[in-house]
Amino acid sequence: MNKLSFAALALSLVMAGGAAQADSVLILNSEEASYSILSRSTRTEIARLPVGREPHHLIVTPDGKEVLIGSTATNELLGLDIKTGERKRVVKDIIDPYHLGFSPDGKWLVTAAYRLDHVDIFHADGFRLAGRIFIDGLPSHLAFDADSKTVFVTLQQSGRLAAFDLETQSLKWNMPVGNTPAGVVMLPDDKRLLVALTGEDGFVVVDPKDGALKGRVQTGKGAHNFWPKGDGKHYFISNRVEGTVSLIDTSGDMRVVGSVRIPGGPDCMDITPDGKELWVTQRFLRRVAVVDIEQLKVVANIPVGKSPHGVFMLKGTALQADGPVRAASTASDRK
Amino acid sequence: MRELTDLWVGIQAWLFETIVSPVLFHFGLMAWYEPGYSAVEFLMLGVVQIAIIAFGMRFFERRWPLEKSGPDDRLIRVDQVYTVLNKLGIVPLAIFIVTYPLVQHIELLVRAWGYAPPRLERILPWLGDNALASFLVYFVLYDFAAYWLHRAQHGFAWWWSLHSLHHSQRRMTVWTDDRNHVVDDLLINLALVLFSQFVGVQPGEYVLILMIGRLVESWSHANVDMSFGWLGERLLVGPRFHRLHHALSTPEERHIQDHNFAPVFPIWDILFGTAIYDGKHRPTGVDDATVDADNGRGWITQQVTVFGRLLRALVPGFRRSSMQPGLRPPAE
Repeated sequence: MNKLSFAALALSLVMAGGAAQADSVLILNSEEASYSILSRSTRTEIARLPVGREPHHLIVTPDGKEVLIGSTATNELLGLDIKTGERKRVVKDIIDPYHLGFSPDGKWLVTAAYRLDHVDIFHADGFRLAGRIFIDGLPSHLAFDADSKTVFVTLQQSGRLAAFDLETQSLKWNMPVGNTPAGVVMLPDDKRLLVALTGEDGFVVVDPKDGALKGRVQTGKGAHNFWPKGDGKHYFISNRVEGTVSLIDTSGDMRVVGSVRIPGGPDCMDITPDGKELWVTQRFLRRVAVVDIEQLKVVANIPVGKSPHGVFMLKGTALQADGPVRAASTASDRK
Repeated sequence: MRELTDLWVGIQAWLFETIVSPVLFHFGLMAWYEPGYSAVEFLMLGVVQIAIIAFGMRFFERRWPLEKSGPDDRLIRVDQVYTVLNKLGIVPLAIFIVTYPLVQHIELLVRAWGYAPPRLERILPWLGDNALASFLVYFVLYDFAAYWLHRAQHGFAWWWSLHSLHHSQRRMTVWTDDRNHVVDDLLINLALVLFSQFVGVQPGEYVLILMIGRLVESWSHANVDMSFGWLGERLLVGPRFHRLHHALSTPEERHIQDHNFAPVFPIWDILFGTAIYDGKHRPTGVDDATVDADNGRGWITQQVTVFGRLLRALVPGFRRSSMQPGLRPPAE
């Protein structure tokens, strides 16, 4: 089906009312400059629409009304209505927004410019640049502490994790954590950061105060990204080289409690609002895997565009205006 | 179509996850994880292109050859080596390794200044909803750049010293398109990659443009007297059109090779006054004994001797008779 047909389908759905959008899922096709809209109920692609160039990650605005897609090569954010997926605006002059997140208090927007080696800190209100910090090593993923004082950024090439003070936009510390760190998540206790090591076979536990390593857990080769299960204890982690997603229990001794085989370089994840399904992008297979969380079993596989990366469940009417502030695939989801 | 895509992606993912990914992981090269996956696709596309040339285009050459078989057939073998080295990514990989940091540096510098590629969809929103139209527009833009680069290859003496290798082949066939010096390939690739990035060609589109474009160019070098008809040969470059560009210059037609430059769309030659449609058959090659001596040499010898030619063109002290004026038509 070509883009025109997809667009026509999407338009007909919009005109038919917002019901279909309430159960929709957004997928960013990073090498196709498009985003797919999937239906959770029918598990099919219902639209594929153009977006900038090389879209990778996305985030919900603090007011919960929009989802912002980072179009890295066009230096802009595309804002979609969180309920309908309708295009609302384009925010320009956000340089190389590879990964992005709002601080939990909604005051700051931080972007990691992966290819341009800098971290930008914006006042979320009006997207005014507060500070740009140049740092070598491919700034990759980011996470915040609970009181919105610090943002933590993984540096994939240099194998380090850096902490920046949001108020002063200055470096607090920059510590080695392992080979090719990518996804980073702050646990609800606000005392432990988990950092996935894509160049190794697991993740490390880091002290957010000073970057000291506190532990290491083996999950699978190419450990890459986290997503919270939603109970405050369990997290999923994708292992890109191994082709698996592991479920880890962060309470007490950190340990792996389950695993599911997902080939094709599994990457970003999101969970359905009922908490029953985990949707995982399979970068290399141009598909999205749907995992039954209870059984840890793949129950569906949906074709999308080339190199699908970010995934996000549109919340429809179920979303509260003061709902959780979250960056897809980052630690900011405080379910 | 979905089945075909699944098959293609399935093979690509299998090759990557079985061979490439473990190697990258073992040697700590995970920063090259995504480019590595694209490289596998490039290799697969190369195999497909070789198959199309060897089994599809060669059928027409065997069935309706313009120049009959003869002792010069042996000259074709080195062109086959060029094609395999290029299509299977060996030369492109070397070029990529050399050019990537430079391309990256230039792109990052320009983007850090706040420049972002101007996607045409902003100006023509309907393009965003029509994948085919969007692809064609970017293809035409890409070909426009390639046309002017080709003119530059003929226009600068130092660049001609490299590009003359391509023109030295007396037995033009479907394999001839890839017969280029690696430095020539490097310069063209660098220019086209930068151009594509700055006009906003998508990575996926770029691969497709490259593949289709190179197939058209392989066909345009075929040893057949075929065209796409009066209208067709004004829309798409074919063997009859491009053979004229390779014609051996004579005292009557000293500038014959300064025509029909277009790689894929002849519109550029028509617009800029360099098109000739006369249907005449002419022998191909160069009227320069030193350059003609490329024929009969192997890949390595050609690369070394042509590099020497470049040095002589760049450094006056290295000049020899091959670059004396009058032995080849001066650039227009």
